[in-house]
Amino acid sequence: MYVEIRGLTFRYKNAAEDTIQDFTLDIRKGEIIGILGESGSGKTTILRLIAGLEIPSRGSVRIDGRTMVDGNTFLPPERRGIGMVFQDYALFPHMTVEANIKFGLHRMDGARRNERLEEVLRLVNLAEYKRRYPHELSGGQQQRVALARALAPEPSLLLLDEPFSNLDRDLQQRIRDELKVILKGAGITSIFVTHDRDDSRALADRVVILRGGRMVEIGDPAEVLR
Amino acid sequence: MRVLEIKRLYTSVNIWGVLSWVFVLLILLPNANILVNVFSEPNENWDHIKEYLLRQYISNTVLVTSLSGLFAAVIGTSLAWVVSVYDFPLRGFLKWGLVLPLAIPPYIAAYTYNGMLNYTGVLQTFLRNSLNIYIDQRYVDIMSLQGAVFIFTLFLYPYVYTITKAFLEKQSSSLIENARVLGRSPLEVFLFVILPVSRAAIVGGTTLVMLEVLNDYGVVKYFGITTFSTAIFQTWFGMGDVDSAIKLAAMLMLLVFAITMSERALRGRRRFSYTTTKARPISRIRLKGLGAVLASGYTFMIFSLGFLIPTLQLIHWALQTYRRVLGLKFLELTLNSLLMALGSAALIVCMAVVIANYSRISETVIARTNARVTIVGYSIPGAVIAIGVIVVFVALDNHLYWLYRLIDPDTPKLVLTTSLVMLMFAYTIRFIAIAVNSVESGFEKVGKKFFEASRTLGMNVTRTFFKVDLRMIQPALLSGFLLVFVDIMKELPLTLILRPFNFDTLATKSFQYAHDEMIHEAAISSLIIILVSFASIYFFHRVADKEER
Repeated sequence: MYVEIRGLTFRYKNAAEDTIQDFTLDIRKGEIIGILGESGSGKTTILRLIAGLEIPSRGSVRIDGRTMVDGNTFLPPERRGIGMVFQDYALFPHMTVEANIKFGLHRMDGARRNERLEEVLRLVNLAEYKRRYPHELSGGQQQRVALARALAPEPSLLLLDEPFSNLDRDLQQRIRDELKVILKGAGITSIFVTHDRDDSRALADRVVILRGGRMVEIGDPAEVLR
Repeated sequence: MRVLEIKRLYTSVNIWGVLSWVFVLLILLPNANILVNVFSEPNENWDHIKEYLLRQYISNTVLVTSLSGLFAAVIGTSLAWVVSVYDFPLRGFLKWGLVLPLAIPPYIAAYTYNGMLNYTGVLQTFLRNSLNIYIDQRYVDIMSLQGAVFIFTLFLYPYVYTITKAFLEKQSSSLIENARVLGRSPLEVFLFVILPVSRAAIVGGTTLVMLEVLNDYGVVKYFGITTFSTAIFQTWFGMGDVDSAIKLAAMLMLLVFAITMSERALRGRRRFSYTTTKARPISRIRLKGLGAVLASGYTFMIFSLGFLIPTLQLIHWALQTYRRVLGLKFLELTLNSLLMALGSAALIVCMAVVIANYSRISETVIARTNARVTIVGYSIPGAVIAIGVIVVFVALDNHLYWLYRLIDPDTPKLVLTTSLVMLMFAYTIRFIAIAVNSVESGFEKVGKKFFEASRTLGMNVTRTFFKVDLRMIQPALLSGFLLVFVDIMKELPLTLILRPFNFDTLATKSFQYAHDEMIHEAAISSLIIILVSFASIYFFHRVADKEER
């Protein structure tokens, strides 16, 4: 399997019980997984554990045969090569679209960096916006910049935290379809979390239902979300 | 999974952690050194002090501190109430004008008032020459314990005023309106609603006032009142007895701890942090007739006594003396003040950034404690810090003497102790809490999402700090820098005691002039200090107020 998550368990400081309990999931390359759960079910925490922003108390994460975390190893987020789109995008307000996207490309040489910038900007359809600052963009555009920024370093896995929650209803549907085209076009393995069943239905190849930090169901969206 | 636990520890022990620890230990060292000495073997001198002097030190200190705290609480709270709840002529200006007494350091206020009220001062001269009235000197003698309380109250009440006003404006509109709808009079609302709910704010402000009084050296020294602050130095320099001086310092430190502890108790379970609910401003009652006159009169009187009158008097003296005072020597001490304050503030802000950033990224209890510990320095009086720092530096010089001799065979034994390094170090202990607070609030505003985004984009903690965090907390850094800068410009006790021989700043020179009965000559340097403080208050209260709106 391309992504192997085994027995992931986590408890926040001062919490009485585990926020995530024994979470296990295998993902094929290029697959899009939707994690569906109500707020407080621990879905964002799972993304943070995979990204390396939290340290699990037990369990392991391997991507493409490389161990990210287990009993002996802990790779910090900057060494995992995992992309993440944050719920409120977290675009650096003091940088232009171009600088935001290039931020993650610091290991590439100048020419390759510019090339990659143009590629991802074309991918998200924002080629003419690269000189703008985040506050000069609409919500939908900001979301696409965040996506472009996360995709630019060619991550092995893309995590999306409630990617549509900050968009209004009409835009949500359009962006959802767009996102599917982009992700499938890039062939990138992705996990997104959401509380919206429609999101899962439209975007995911498989859906995980999370309740109280535990996986209660997994399968094809058409079956799971009947 | 023990390994993961160890990993967790490892990720929190990085260069930020190491530096943060070093800084905090440096801050604690001199203070811990003092505290340990409470229990050391007393000498003969100490017996003498204990038998004949200690009682007076304690009673004077406790009296000045508690009375100043009490009056400042009354004036500060009443002003906050009047300004937040009522509309009256001049309110718009006085609302922030009432903060201005804070621009005048109490030691400057002390000799300004003495200059105005003494036999040759403007008040008595006017009464004598114009009205032929001769006043009994006892009634206008400000150089007394009551006088000190008067000065501290008038120039420190803004601590209570600002905290309580902020609380009232942001928290209480629905309570006040409810009480009014239930048919209570404004006075009843004040007594039964406002006072109880704003208790934490009032106690918080009053504690700051009391800590400032305990920190003071200038006023009590100038007025000739023996409190712990003055006694420490008298024992040390006068009697040449460092051990007893340290013992006194340790006792003063215990008093400070007692005050901060009782603050916690008095605050009750309620902390005066703002809730997240959107605050609605109070709809103020418009006063007319006598009410308006009384409100304007009261607030304007306090403003005049606490800022307008002393400032005008200083300007008058400055005009009389500027020909004598201004010169190369004056330029030198202005530069001394500015460079010392700029350099130290920059150093302090850098250290604060390290401590605050470590506390933020590591999120361990230990790292958080590190940031909280810096508060210790801010509550400890200058006199205690001074003696603690000197003791440590003398010991350090003794240890390093071999090294000095290696560099220069004719070196004196005390090198660091007679340098500006020691003074900067003392400033750091005293003021780093202010900078840490500013930086922390900056980090809080920004949140962690940009930091995390940068990490997932392949930047490590340190590169993230320079590329992202630093840019985003710039306003907080600037305000932290400004606050520390102004505080150092005003600072007296540490500078007076720890400065190298012949090194003068605006603050020490003003104090020296006043001490040498040359009050008029002290005016210009005092006015510069006031102007700098004024600018900072204007910036923080007026500009910040407008931005909020």
